[in-house]
Amino acid sequence: MKKIALAGMLALGLTGCSSDDPQVLNLYNWSEYMPQEVLTRFQEETGIQVVYTTYDSNEAMYARLKLLDESAAYDLAVPSTYYVSKMRNEGLLMPIDKSKISGLDQVDPELTGLDIDPDNQYSVPYLWGTTGIGVDIADIEGEPVTAWEDLWGERFKGRVNLTNDMREVFHVGLRVLGYSGNSTDPQQIEEAYEKLTELMPSVRTFNSDAPRMPFLEGETDVGMIWNGEAVMGKESMESLEYVYPEEGVIAWLDSFVIPKNAKNPEAAHKFISFVLQPEIAALISEDIGYATPVLAARELLGDEVSGDRASYPAAEDMVNAEFQADIGDEALQIYARYWEKLKSGL
Amino acid sequence: MMLSIRQQPFRAAVLVLVWGWLLFLVLAPNLLVVGTSVMTRNPGTFISMPLNLDAYRQLFNPLYLEVFIHSLYMAAMTTLVCLLIGYPFAWALSRVEKRRQMLLIFLLIVPFWTNSLVRTYALKLILATNGLLNQGLMSLGIIDEPAQLLYTEGAVIVGLVYLLLPFMILPLYSVFDDLRQDVLLASHDLGAGRFATFKNVIVPLTLPGVLAGVMLVLLPAMGLFFVPDILGGSRNLLVGNVIKNQFLDARNWPFGAAASIMLTVAMALLMFAHRLSKRRLGEEGA
Amino acid sequence: MRWLPRTYLALVYLLLYVPIIVLVVFSFNDSRTGYSWGGLSLRWYESLFNNHAMVQAMWNSLWLALTAATVSTLIGALTALALHRYRFRGKKVLNGMLFVVMMSPEIVLAISLLGLFLLLGLKLGYVSLLLAHVTFCLPFVVITVMARLAGFDERLPEAARDLGASDFTMTRTVLIPVIMPALMAGWMLGFTLSMDDVVVSTFVSGPSYEILPLRIYSMVRVGLKPEVNALGTLLLVFSLVMLMFSHWILSRSKQ
Repeated sequence: MKKIALAGMLALGLTGCSSDDPQVLNLYNWSEYMPQEVLTRFQEETGIQVVYTTYDSNEAMYARLKLLDESAAYDLAVPSTYYVSKMRNEGLLMPIDKSKISGLDQVDPELTGLDIDPDNQYSVPYLWGTTGIGVDIADIEGEPVTAWEDLWGERFKGRVNLTNDMREVFHVGLRVLGYSGNSTDPQQIEEAYEKLTELMPSVRTFNSDAPRMPFLEGETDVGMIWNGEAVMGKESMESLEYVYPEEGVIAWLDSFVIPKNAKNPEAAHKFISFVLQPEIAALISEDIGYATPVLAARELLGDEVSGDRASYPAAEDMVNAEFQADIGDEALQIYARYWEKLKSGL
Repeated sequence: MMLSIRQQPFRAAVLVLVWGWLLFLVLAPNLLVVGTSVMTRNPGTFISMPLNLDAYRQLFNPLYLEVFIHSLYMAAMTTLVCLLIGYPFAWALSRVEKRRQMLLIFLLIVPFWTNSLVRTYALKLILATNGLLNQGLMSLGIIDEPAQLLYTEGAVIVGLVYLLLPFMILPLYSVFDDLRQDVLLASHDLGAGRFATFKNVIVPLTLPGVLAGVMLVLLPAMGLFFVPDILGGSRNLLVGNVIKNQFLDARNWPFGAAASIMLTVAMALLMFAHRLSKRRLGEEGA
Repeated sequence: MRWLPRTYLALVYLLLYVPIIVLVVFSFNDSRTGYSWGGLSLRWYESLFNNHAMVQAMWNSLWLALTAATVSTLIGALTALALHRYRFRGKKVLNGMLFVVMMSPEIVLAISLLGLFLLLGLKLGYVSLLLAHVTFCLPFVVITVMARLAGFDERLPEAARDLGASDFTMTRTVLIPVIMPALMAGWMLGFTLSMDDVVVSTFVSGPSYEILPLRIYSMVRVGLKPEVNALGTLLLVFSLVMLMFSHWILSRSKQ
């Protein structure tokens, strides 16, 4: 009896066992964060096929990586600033073999050796950017929008977009109250929550897949947006402006990391080197509007890209800007509880 | 009595396969969920000892209770709308000539053969600010400014109704189809008016169909997380969204498991009500 | 008063079909925005087929649906036969479990299977998807086949047995031909359920085996993508062809 059952199970297992092609790179990235052309050219040059899957928040990426920890599902991921240190501290990452990476010396020294990963043992910067305010100037009347606080204005009822990112939304709430966006104080978090509930009647949607879309679709006029999304959105909607709010933008650096159990680290290293080539890095920055950390690439950019303050902010734009930091699991749980309540629209 | 395995190898093989599959892929996983729900959240390994009822306590925390009540409200509205549309529909359908009925039922099922995500997406095309409905209403001069339809509670309910309506209609149709004309005539002959016949005869006789429909609509309506994602602007969350977030974002597995057990309990209660109504009907009929 | 019910029926059908008609019409729309009409074009079909990941996901989905439908039909048919013909202890429990699978919200099934696969250390991919899909298709096949068996003359298998046929032979020569239409219907049902599933697949799939509904999900979440219209139209045409094909086979087998 048992043998029959076993045979059945085996037969099932066997039909599903496709031989794993070694020349595949499983890349786990934010949605809309890599031009298709880069993947195509990488495949043409190296013969390695990139399987590209996406996420819309660091939390989702982290949970999925942990979930698939043992099964070596991903070869390369792109966590934001504070998630690099979190994942590094938890031993989820594989050290990067710098001898296999070319072009590291080209990376902006201001974006390497940060606290999140002091010697860049585990991470290589991919792109950096900011979360500021997107404004459809054709659709708003009255005073120009200059601060996060303005989102609370009566005139934007039902017209505001927020990113679907717990930390970013609370960052805004905390900054408006004058606190740090990385607060771990339950009292401050609760205050931020109270402040954000006042914003909720104005909030039309949470979007982290492509925050430019609600603007293009005419659903929202104002709200949180990533600088690259604003740049991409402007291509099809001239009236979409990117504003650096007075309380300060949220700054982040997204880095390549290789999960501990990656099946094809070789390909992952190759891909990182590929993307660090000035020509490719410039192509990415031009196409999706975020700032590249590759210095040589910046020289290749046309004036309209390198001169675009949305992509490459001037020093005064970054006044009050705050990088996101790891706040620990305990504080995260507090955020998470308020976040769900906030989003349920009650 | 039972024959031994030697005498009936085929029978034995079939039973082992079937039992094996169900025990392994239905019973065991469900027990795992129950087990998970009484464990402690652990940021590193997802769950760990000791056993406790914290997850259930959290479920009744006012914070989450409101989320669940709101979700239940949307699911209940969906069910109600489905019932209001489906009840007369099923009745009218059972009145059509038998030959045509099969075709009409087929037409009811055809939309199911397109992916439900794609259909939800098509609704977005219609409900958006620049969408077809707003364009139509504006060109007809009914409204001057586009109405905000997308990313609202209403949009989520419309989406759920659209996806789940046939699940309400089919069981209702089957009870109306069984409803014998002579029963209605008898009621009429006994002097009952239209309303009295409806209230005293039709409603009790179709009640099992109503409950079956409610069961088939209410529970999925709490779980279809992609509808609020697409039509609700990631607001107006369903229990399904909460469970998904707990497992795939917030990593609070015990809580997610407890929420899912709550859904299972709701299902059991509904199934019980359904059986009860059928049994009562059986007794009255006898 | 007779026109009233009919008008009502027509109205509801209209509402059910409007989104699908919109989808099909807009799949031939040249406009990029997806809201206004920009002339006839096949560009979205073209860009769909040039999307390598999409085509790969399509094949994966088809293969998964084919295998899941086949395995669940096989096991489901055997289950139905066992429930119909054999008396055994725990029959009610078995019945109950099938009913529970059918009724429980997909999300409950999804997380329970995820837990199981993780505990077993099973790599999330084709195998986990197959096991999950077969599980949720199973009760539907069982019910379809049971319905067919219920209307079946009990004396036939008895006669076969009296003539000396073994249990297996009797099943093969008498029962299988009788339940063939139900097997077809069950298979079709399983195929559709598998192709359509989003909720369970979200939990039990891995990047090594991406399937269509999840691809569509990420596309749809990003925003309006006219390729989705083209894809939806193709899926609709595909299922209608399948449906007609099965209808044709069934009507032939009846003759």
